[in-house]
Amino acid sequence: MDNKLQSIVLDWIPSNSKVIDFGCGDGALLKILTEQKSATGYGVENDPEKINACIINGVSVIQQDIDAGIQHYKGMDFDVAVMASSIQCLRKPRDAMKNILKVANECVITLPNFGNWELRLGILNGKMPSSSQLPAKWYETKNLHLCTITDFEELCHEESFAIKKKIYLNRRGGSSWLANTFPNLFAAQAVYLIG
Amino acid sequence: MKTVCKKISFGDSLALESGQTLSGFELMTETYGELNSDKTNAVLVCHAFSGNHHAAGTQEGEEKPGWWDEMIGDGKTIDTTKFFVVSLNNIGGCHGSSGPTTIAAETDQPYGANFPEVSVSDWVETQKLLADYLGISCWEMVAGGSLGGMQALQWAISYPKRIKKAAIIAASSKISTQNIALNEVAREIIKKDENFHNGDYLVKGASPKNGLKAARMLGHITYLSESNMSKRFGRKLQDPDNKMDADVNYEVENYLQYKGEQFSKTFDANSYILMTKAMDSFDPAKDFDNNLVKCLQSIQAKLLIASFDSDWLFPKEYGLDIQMSAIKAGIDSTYLELEGAYGHDSFLFYSDQYAAVLKNFLNSNG
Repeated sequence: MDNKLQSIVLDWIPSNSKVIDFGCGDGALLKILTEQKSATGYGVENDPEKINACIINGVSVIQQDIDAGIQHYKGMDFDVAVMASSIQCLRKPRDAMKNILKVANECVITLPNFGNWELRLGILNGKMPSSSQLPAKWYETKNLHLCTITDFEELCHEESFAIKKKIYLNRRGGSSWLANTFPNLFAAQAVYLIG
Repeated sequence: MKTVCKKISFGDSLALESGQTLSGFELMTETYGELNSDKTNAVLVCHAFSGNHHAAGTQEGEEKPGWWDEMIGDGKTIDTTKFFVVSLNNIGGCHGSSGPTTIAAETDQPYGANFPEVSVSDWVETQKLLADYLGISCWEMVAGGSLGGMQALQWAISYPKRIKKAAIIAASSKISTQNIALNEVAREIIKKDENFHNGDYLVKGASPKNGLKAARMLGHITYLSESNMSKRFGRKLQDPDNKMDADVNYEVENYLQYKGEQFSKTFDANSYILMTKAMDSFDPAKDFDNNLVKCLQSIQAKLLIASFDSDWLFPKEYGLDIQMSAIKAGIDSTYLELEGAYGHDSFLFYSDQYAAVLKNFLNSNG
């Protein structure tokens, strides 16, 4: 997670929160949340090397596939769930979001925007596009359900997921007039706080 | 590796969970490495069902090293150049600590079947007295696999301030019904040996060796995975020159015969029964309205809960169950499912992934 994104997420998560980070990677965000915001954090990750990195970072982690693992959290009460660039890797992102909002009051979601002009150009060229946000080749990507900002916000509307906060970021990870005015075309990433 | 093997006597009477009392007891211990001046580098390793104090290194005349030698030693996962590792034979065992083969002061006879019932929390009490004796106020880590993992969990529950990390490996917060059933078959086999004499075989100069052997053969099957057995033995026929028994056809039969025979020479039948009973009764949540979340709430240690994918005796759901309760209780806890080639016994053997996880956990900041 780059610095700008991290500072947004840190800003949104209140101190002393109980946090679950689905797709926590090496646990860097949880480590900062624990150190700077006295959070109680748990990560969910399925990659043994990343899990080991979490252990080195002193972060509590659960080895699980997110789609299958989410059912285990029934009846739990987290303040915030985080899904940083992992929602598009899920087999059932809509069901996962529904279930996550049952176990957490709020969910921070970061989304690579497949509607970004650069990616659209790639498609126009007749090839699966790649970008800094989506660098993997089509045959290697873990992404199963890529979507655009418009798609995602439509889903939130249909499912009555309230978007409490959102920030659009350009290719350089910063805010810009273009990305804010025409997010579906110019934002490379979006960050949402959903409740 | 500096190794010290020592039998330590404790004069205090020990009130056991069963309500019975042991008037003094002895612990056979083995330590590896050196305790630092602050006494902050101590790691307790707890043995599983048939283990003992001899966890690492090879003693003179011994064919095989200690039970966790792949993990404990200079430069190994639990690095004895850095940590002071304490291992002991639990009471009720038969490798030097007070148990059914010990002579009872009251009768001047071996305790035999009269040795009181012991539990996992009784073991933790004796280990706490051992920590006091050694001047260790807080373990850097308590670790164990299977029944040893249960002790690590009990430590975290019983003495929250005296343990920083608990590695609970191939274990559960209580064993399954199927496990109790398997243990009962093993006990039945032992008790029905004509030389068992209601547990008083030592006084009668007898040995229920055959029962113990058969019980162990059954147990051994449950410790291995089906695929591991297939890979190792397949349907290979036993070389006729090395048959343990004339009726043996297949290699796997011979292997079990051999393992059972060896075990029956070194283990005590009453200890076998006591150990299985301790395993059956382990259920720390029972003192908390059967609520594991409540039970874990007092824990201050960091937990590492690891299951092995090929373990059908303590399958991953059991580890995950502790993890989910730990999250509900808001305690620091990590769960993972490791690849293990050897079924339940995988916890005994080194693998890169397993070793890295345990090492990183032990060396991570508390």
